[in-house]
Amino acid sequence: MGTFIQLVVDGLSTGSIYAALALAIVLVNQATGLINFAQGGMAVLSSYIAYVFVQLGLPLIVAIFVAVVLSFLIGALVERLLVRRFERGDPDTAVVVTIGLLTLVTGICAVLWGYNNLGFPSLFPLTSVQILGAVVSVRALATTVTIVVIMVVLQVLFLRTKLGLALRAVADNPGSAAFSGLPVGRLLMVGWGLAATLGAIAGVLVAPQLTLTPGMLDTALVYALAAVILGGLSSPIGCVVAASAIGVLENLVAVYVPFIGHDLKIAVPFVLIFVILIVRPQGLFGRKVVVRV
Amino acid sequence: MGTVSSALRTRPARIALTAVVAIALIVAPLVLPAFANQTLVRIGVYAVAVLGLNIVMGYTGQVNLGQIFFVGLGAYVTAYGVNHGWSIIVVFAAACVSAGIVGLLVALAAARLGGLAIAMVTIALPIVGVPLAKRLSEFTGGSQGISARFSDAPEWSGLYNDQWQFYIVLVVTAAAFLLARSLVRGKYGRAFAVVRENEAVAASMGVSPYRTKVLAFTIASIFGGASGFLYLAAVQYTSPETLSFGHSISLVAAMVIGGAGSIAGSLLGGAYYVFVPQLTNAIDPNFTAVSQGAILLAVLFLLPGGLVSLPRVIRRLSRRRTARPRSGNPPQTAPAQHPVPDAAREGHENTERQDRS
Repeated sequence: MGTFIQLVVDGLSTGSIYAALALAIVLVNQATGLINFAQGGMAVLSSYIAYVFVQLGLPLIVAIFVAVVLSFLIGALVERLLVRRFERGDPDTAVVVTIGLLTLVTGICAVLWGYNNLGFPSLFPLTSVQILGAVVSVRALATTVTIVVIMVVLQVLFLRTKLGLALRAVADNPGSAAFSGLPVGRLLMVGWGLAATLGAIAGVLVAPQLTLTPGMLDTALVYALAAVILGGLSSPIGCVVAASAIGVLENLVAVYVPFIGHDLKIAVPFVLIFVILIVRPQGLFGRKVVVRV
Repeated sequence: MGTVSSALRTRPARIALTAVVAIALIVAPLVLPAFANQTLVRIGVYAVAVLGLNIVMGYTGQVNLGQIFFVGLGAYVTAYGVNHGWSIIVVFAAACVSAGIVGLLVALAAARLGGLAIAMVTIALPIVGVPLAKRLSEFTGGSQGISARFSDAPEWSGLYNDQWQFYIVLVVTAAAFLLARSLVRGKYGRAFAVVRENEAVAASMGVSPYRTKVLAFTIASIFGGASGFLYLAAVQYTSPETLSFGHSISLVAAMVIGGAGSIAGSLLGGAYYVFVPQLTNAIDPNFTAVSQGAILLAVLFLLPGGLVSLPRVIRRLSRRRTARPRSGNPPQTAPAQHPVPDAAREGHENTERQDRS
């Protein structure tokens, strides 16, 4: 029983990493209707920026704040200078553009900082506490709490604020949003900026645990994408729940189903997706999209 | 420029051009150095995989991020068959059929889903495929990989191995391109196009979107399997690395860079897949990822319709330049010839037209 609880707790803590990235993907999708494969790469870049400012002698919290602000600008610039050209075009092309962006950003990180693992200081102490017989590190706990807070803020932003309404309107139908007097271009920039900010927060939260490398979030991105599809592209809560479920399930399966083990556990979320999507094509929490001719 | 391209549209000119290209392809391996032959062979290998991807993504509009899985499957089946002494025709058929069957099974589930959900189900294929290939070491040789030699030149031909491989790949690639060309121009091609544009319209016209998508996926998988066979003919070795996720993404990039919804674009995509890593390694190995990403974005930024739209973009630019001083009112002449101002769609449309003429 002790092992079981430990596995669940560990699963929840890895799940929160996937959740943070998944939230950023949902944010871009809500604001622009695109899936951004470069989300993980941009988050890694933000973490490196924070790292540089820490090296320059800034206190960690200030460095993170500077990195978050710069990330907003980078996200907005990427939208304005690069992605905008592809937003109305072929969706295949837009997907490939974000893949190109991922390659480029990862490459830039590798050129500037190399492939060596860099230690990143943690905001939270490394001590651990006992809960129900399981060892829980304060860091994992604080990370999870931060993610949950962000999720709630996002949900409020999208459903209860004018900005959220405007972002949703632009994503849903840029044409009629423009007719209603919304500054579509600026809102798209804000959407990308916010997503980059969120990615930056996710990056600095997990960097101490994973250590900083250009490919730090590659695996997490795959899980985050799985969580996004499973939870539904339109639901921040859904993707956080799905991310936690994936984290817990893969941990349990790796230990309790010997055939799968640690090498095949990445298959678990996808088999789950396969089964769930056949029953509910819109995702667990997603809304069904009705297309009219 | 204009006169050259219009002369090329006449039938005798096209037949002559085809004959010249065919003869050039048959003579080329005999005179080219081995390295050039190997490069051309690899272009052929990946062109077939990109062609399959183009049928499902470019023509039918279903995002498929798992094409490399079928290439890997084809390669493993080929290696297994060769090492167990099957006839080479049987091996080729087995590579295509097994990829087709797995593709069909995946498609039966995936085609029920809309848009990005399909992308996610297909993304799973290479991600699950790599650890699975390592696990099933009895058939795949585990992470060591497996090698199989069947494409060495026979004694009687008097050819070098690279020349013999060139002919194997040339025959299969040419057959694949001819098949794909007649497929997308015929009844199924129209079904693909209408499903791509609007599934509800397709259904109302009596075209089942579900069946059409399953068909496109299955055909793409078969092309993937054939590409896997060719891969083993060219490389004679395969390992889990062959079907890694990164390669799958590169194939999608190659398809879009070459030109989505274009048969000729698939060949350009294959060339892009082979040449760009060579080029970026030659520039500076440290900057490989940066330059690959930059090249990809630059190509798409300048040519959203892919490389295949380059001649048309040049023609349009040169026409605009010559038209401006004469008529003094270019905005009126230009839109008359190009009703769709969107560059990406225009490239696509013209591609289709050129393929059909």
